[in-house]
Amino acid sequence: MPHHRLLTCFDCETNPVYNDRHRARSFINRSHLYELVITTLTRGVFLLMSDNSAEIDRGNCFGFVTVRLHPEHGYFGGLLVVNSLARPLEFHCTLPVKPSRAQSILYGPTLDDFVCGEQIARALLAKSKSKPISIFTDTSAVLSVRHFISIPIGWIETESKEHEQSVLVIPASNSNRSYRSNRVDDTVVQVPETFAEDGQIIAATWKKLAPQIDLMEPFGRITEALFEANPAAKAA
Amino acid sequence: MFDVETKSVTESVTEVTLDRISSPNSEVISTIQPFELISFTTPLQSDHNTDSNTCQFSNVDLQAGLTVNLCDSLSDSLFTPKEVRTLALTLGAQLPKTIGFTFPESPAWTVAKATPKEPSSSPSAYASSSSPVDDDEDVSSDLKAKPKSRPKLTRMRPPGDLVKLEDRLYYVLQPPLETLIQSAKLTFPFQPFPYQFEGVAFLFSRAAAILADEMGLGKTMQAITTIRMLLLSGELQSVLLICPKPLVTNWVREFRQWAPEVPVAVIEGDQTKRAWVWNHPQAPVKIANYELMMRDRSLLESNVTEAEDGTVNATPQLHFDLVVLDEAQRIKNRNSTTSEIVRSISRTRSWALTGTPIENSTDDLVSIFEFLSPGYLNNDMPLKAMSQASRDYILRRTKDKVLTEMPPKMFRDAELDLTSEQISTYKIAEEEGVIGLTEMGDEITIQHVFELVLRLKQICNFDPITGASCKLERLEADLEEVAASGQKAIVFSQWVDTLDKISAKLDRFSPLHYHGRIPSRQRDSVIERFKNDPKHTVILMSYGAGAVGLNLQFCHYVFLFDRWWNPAVEDQAINRAHRLGVKGTVTVSRMMAMNTIEQRIHNVLEEKRALINTLFAETGQPKSLGLTQKEIFGLFNLNLPHRNSKAA
Repeated sequence: MPHHRLLTCFDCETNPVYNDRHRARSFINRSHLYELVITTLTRGVFLLMSDNSAEIDRGNCFGFVTVRLHPEHGYFGGLLVVNSLARPLEFHCTLPVKPSRAQSILYGPTLDDFVCGEQIARALLAKSKSKPISIFTDTSAVLSVRHFISIPIGWIETESKEHEQSVLVIPASNSNRSYRSNRVDDTVVQVPETFAEDGQIIAATWKKLAPQIDLMEPFGRITEALFEANPAAKAA
Repeated sequence: MFDVETKSVTESVTEVTLDRISSPNSEVISTIQPFELISFTTPLQSDHNTDSNTCQFSNVDLQAGLTVNLCDSLSDSLFTPKEVRTLALTLGAQLPKTIGFTFPESPAWTVAKATPKEPSSSPSAYASSSSPVDDDEDVSSDLKAKPKSRPKLTRMRPPGDLVKLEDRLYYVLQPPLETLIQSAKLTFPFQPFPYQFEGVAFLFSRAAAILADEMGLGKTMQAITTIRMLLLSGELQSVLLICPKPLVTNWVREFRQWAPEVPVAVIEGDQTKRAWVWNHPQAPVKIANYELMMRDRSLLESNVTEAEDGTVNATPQLHFDLVVLDEAQRIKNRNSTTSEIVRSISRTRSWALTGTPIENSTDDLVSIFEFLSPGYLNNDMPLKAMSQASRDYILRRTKDKVLTEMPPKMFRDAELDLTSEQISTYKIAEEEGVIGLTEMGDEITIQHVFELVLRLKQICNFDPITGASCKLERLEADLEEVAASGQKAIVFSQWVDTLDKISAKLDRFSPLHYHGRIPSRQRDSVIERFKNDPKHTVILMSYGAGAVGLNLQFCHYVFLFDRWWNPAVEDQAINRAHRLGVKGTVTVSRMMAMNTIEQRIHNVLEEKRALINTLFAETGQPKSLGLTQKEIFGLFNLNLPHRNSKAA
């Protein structure tokens, strides 16, 4: 049954992809994906791909970043950029990132901050064509990416009931970071003390634009998408 | 303690490549890649072995800096621990590989521009806290405030037959249905139930689907809402809905209620008018009836042309993004003309709505799948395999599962003894009939047996000579109670003549008629009168005309004056009253003359009911797959003639 969507693959220079033949040639299909996953697991970290993405003006949009830790496969990261009506504009996810044992030992308690923030979140945001006004994450370790980006980012602590039953868990940041809390649309958003002004910016922007977004909801979508993009995580 | 083994160290080197890090038990922890940079900030404290080029570190710490930072004399440091201060190794600076998608069609949603939320009139947490932090004390108490409870959200899930990752992610990443509805400012006459949202999410993503909810759960509303959302999102532009003729007005009414902004065109009138409506582009939704499909076949068939190279091209005259079949059991006979025409319509999506995907046997389901996805199911498949294969395409919920707060339906089997007049007539008819069938030998056909069954069932209703009826006596008594309590009742029979006889005796209840002899254009007014005029206590319906599509939830009593061959049709009839919106318990009186053909048929019906339960519950094989010729002949202890047995 034909089911064609007009999606753009960012790894492809042509955009958007309306031509099936072209898309079949350019898009990373599942078998390719499996291959990449395996390669990642064996090689550890991928070589950096040059980011030649150009920014797209999509109006006011918000980014949601999450990172999940799988006991076998490592870290999975996802970025969902939505418009003010919560509809998806972009989605990016990483292949599983598995630090070597040496890295685990050497990074010690700061490993999650490094992998989630400086590696995964940084890579995802670098790929985004849209420039979100604010970024939200349910993974506190992602906040370390703030040192590399100019967009305010806030951490939303989830109740984690949903995640308790999942093989993918939220990695916990063990850094001694202190936070400043703000309430944004019925949700407590925390920002690093070193970027305390971010909280005020996020709250003020939210109040001004009044997007119709449930701040907790997009993380569920990203997690589902991570399972779809990485079937190995679901099967385990 | 970790050992770092150098690959090469000389007196004059300014950089060093480390070969490996190993633990004291000699287990290799990791091979250090040449590009990695690791900085060891703690001076070497332990002894070292210069011969093996290894040295020990009591502590290691990672530095974020990515430049090689070596001491002035590295080799001296390595071999003279007290002088070593720093040793740096490179660690990969590359970021993980990512995959990305964008959603160009999402903004196609026709929505009102988002307007800022109105500030709450009450000093709620939101109103005070969304502003920048000014007062630590206020903020502190505000942050402790318990957030409001979050409603259950319904997410779309991709169907199993979608294999491309980007297609699956398209649905996975859509916001929950509730968010889409809220942001698109879609309104409903009343708040849908959560299971109805799940039904909409199910249909939304599917190119082939059967919505097989039990009657009364709102299949119509779910289909209309999904069509509405797909039209708004731009995924659909043309929809054809085919339903039984009596239900056309019902669908129009439901569209007006659930999707008032969607223009609907009904295919009706003479041929010229119909041809115009078929091709009318302004109405994205067209409603046709099954009976009409035959007459307009020529308009739906493809134009076949032969090219110069001899290839034959079939160009459809009309193409629909979606074709919906209501009461899809109408195409259960795949060889019927209606079924063939419906299957020939050019379309992208195919949905079937039916409360009874299996009426007689699994053949019915296979026939519906011939419309949805030809060849996907076949009659030779084992029941379990068929159940598994069809699972992703079928959504079926029952009232007892999803409407736990809905008033129950109470069955009251009226097991009646025939009157003396009926008994004598019945016995004579049965004896003569069986003798006649026996004498026919191998010439006997299923039609002969059916004729006898129908004759006996009619006697169970009324004695043809005297007009005596044990059922009517009971019905009159029950209706007295119904009328006295100000309630209304529906009486079903398979014969219009029987309904006429009943009507003659029920004048005091002002009975209304709804059956094949009532013209279609009058039927809506009959329902309106029955609903609004308190003097009409009872409506007399035939199974054929009144069993599907009607909303009579204001009735709390249903009488099945005689039994239909098929339990699914009986359920359809009962669920005219026992459906969403019903306020109290629905009492169903199933009238059955004891020790007659009716009781024997009842036993077969119960086995059929078990079949439906088996397919959807996957609890093993049913004892019987339907009413076979053998079973029908067995009603009179007749032997099957020497022909192949076949499901009736």
